Amino acid sequence: MIGRHRLIIALLMGTLMVVLIGILDLESPQVMAARLPQVPNPTEEPDPRLSLSDDLCLECHGQPGLILELENGETLDLYVSPDDYYQSIHGMEGYACVQCHRTIGNFPHPPFVASSKRDATIQFNNTCKHCHLSQHVLTQDSVHARALAEGNIEAAVCSDCHTSHEVRQINDPVTNEPLPETRLWVPETCAQCHNEIYQKYLTSVHGSALVDEENTDAPSCIDCHGVHNIEDPTTTEFRLKSPQICAKCHTDPEIMDKYGISTDVLETYVADFHGTTVTLFEKQTPDAETNKPVCYDCHGIHDIKSPDDPEKGLHVRENLLERCQVCHPDATINFPDAWLSHYIPSPKDTPLVYFVDLFYKIFIPVVLGSMGILVVLDLSKRLRDRVNQVNGESSSSVNLITDSDESELNGHDSPSEPSSINGIQQENSHD
Amino acid sequence: MSAREQFMTTHAKNIEAKRVYRRFTAGQNWEHAILLISGIVLFFTGLPQKYRTTSWSQQILSTPERLETIQQIHHIAAIVLILLVIYHLGRAIYLMIQRRLPAAIFPTIQDLRDAWQMIKYLLFLSKDKPKFGKYNFEQKFTYWFIFIIVGIMVFTGIIIWYPELITRYLPGGLVPAAKLAHSTEAIVAAIFIVIWHFYHVHLERLNVSIFTGYLNEEDMKKYHTLEYQQLTGEQIEDADTGGSQ
Repeated sequence: MIGRHRLIIALLMGTLMVVLIGILDLESPQVMAARLPQVPNPTEEPDPRLSLSDDLCLECHGQPGLILELENGETLDLYVSPDDYYQSIHGMEGYACVQCHRTIGNFPHPPFVASSKRDATIQFNNTCKHCHLSQHVLTQDSVHARALAEGNIEAAVCSDCHTSHEVRQINDPVTNEPLPETRLWVPETCAQCHNEIYQKYLTSVHGSALVDEENTDAPSCIDCHGVHNIEDPTTTEFRLKSPQICAKCHTDPEIMDKYGISTDVLETYVADFHGTTVTLFEKQTPDAETNKPVCYDCHGIHDIKSPDDPEKGLHVRENLLERCQVCHPDATINFPDAWLSHYIPSPKDTPLVYFVDLFYKIFIPVVLGSMGILVVLDLSKRLRDRVNQVNGESSSSVNLITDSDESELNGHDSPSEPSSINGIQQENSHD
Repeated sequence: MSAREQFMTTHAKNIEAKRVYRRFTAGQNWEHAILLISGIVLFFTGLPQKYRTTSWSQQILSTPERLETIQQIHHIAAIVLILLVIYHLGRAIYLMIQRRLPAAIFPTIQDLRDAWQMIKYLLFLSKDKPKFGKYNFEQKFTYWFIFIIVGIMVFTGIIIWYPELITRYLPGGLVPAAKLAHSTEAIVAAIFIVIWHFYHVHLERLNVSIFTGYLNEEDMKKYHTLEYQQLTGEQIEDADTGGSQ
């Protein structure tokens, strides 16, 4: 009986171990025969995690029409175009299917379960962080990640912007900076969800330059909103620091000089009442709510027009007035001139301010300076008289010259010796 | 000598010893006090607004609420000052209609001569110090300089307080010019009061008649010789006319 029990326990233990090894095997598959097409560096060791060749995957997933019915009745297309994949950056660099699809293990792989197509996408996107950790971390601070965490499954995940199997190269491999042409792809990428804003952007001075003229000096969405850590642009923090976003390009003469745009815009904004206050709050209380305008309150948010735009440009006084009236409802046609329009005061653009400034630059030193001189003269005279008076009480030498009756001195031309003067005084007093 | 007589004698002596001369009316003392207080409040609430780009100012104006509060205090003090200006000018007009407006404060050619004489005296070019009446040239200058400063401050202040209203009737370029003039004129006022007014009423000699309303006999003789002579009929031959007060 005892021996039989031992045998059963041993058998159970053995089964358990086999199962455990099987599970572990799933997690760390062994290298079999990985297909590594167009490996840039042939001496590189193949990834030890690879257990299945792409050929094996494509035997099924390379056949168009392979679909999976999901729990909610949606069908998930399981076909992967080998041509598209091998043209993507991952395909070109030789990454195998199972490097992203990490839970597959050996063939046949466990069944894939997802409640919906969106659920499937979100599940698959958990894999990107294994290689792109820093981007993943940045993304966690984004408005998209926050929305997803709050239960909005429509919020963008990696593959929504980068695609799943057609990921394109973005950074220059040498400088690690985004390639100039990648800028052109951005607006359309964001437009997949933010189409309304995209349509506005297309009409803007930036959008038309970038999309129509392929001018890569013009900003795309990410130049203002950031790349992975895309911030909520509706917060007060974003509002207060937004002038710095515009200033990134608009204070850079390398870009602005090409188009004859002033680089003084930030400086003149900060120097004027609106900008001074915004800058102050940005430094002191970044979450403060203020009605003081930032760049986009006047220039527009996505439909930013050139000030010279004949229809909507702010150089047209009526257009500027319209902007002023948002905060100053009682403003009339003279009112926009109260704003210096980013000009540094000069006799030509803003004569009144220029001459007031000039007036005080002359007035203060001349008038207040001469008052100061008069006061110093008075003070020195007074101090000298006092010193003389004190001396005069002991020796009375200088005191006599300055204050006493002149007739006394007329009789004696040179009151050089104090004693003689004392003598005179005594004589007089005896008289 | 009866006790009453004795009292009268000593009292009379006291009166004589402490003979004082009215220099300002109580109303004028109050006007100065209100000007002083509103001016100080305006200065200290205006200063951080002028220097908004400096860190000390940003410590004070750190939140929109604080900025709002400081601006409200500034506006209240401004209203007090404007009411004072209206009272002052209204009273002047009233006295003018009644032909009772004292002429002493108005500048004359004599003031120029006095000023010139004073400069010569201070530069050791002359030993004669000018003798003054109720208001000497320095005091007249102080009054009119502050009169103009307050005028500019009120005018420019109203423009930047109600830019929408002002630009209904006047060009918009006035607003930034007024803003610049307002903040620069404030500095002119501050410098003027510190170097000119403080010197003459504190350093040169302590003159508190603007608060008490009275001057003692000694100061009258010394600093307002001509007025003293006029009031008493006494001639002061060898007066040390002291400073420019």
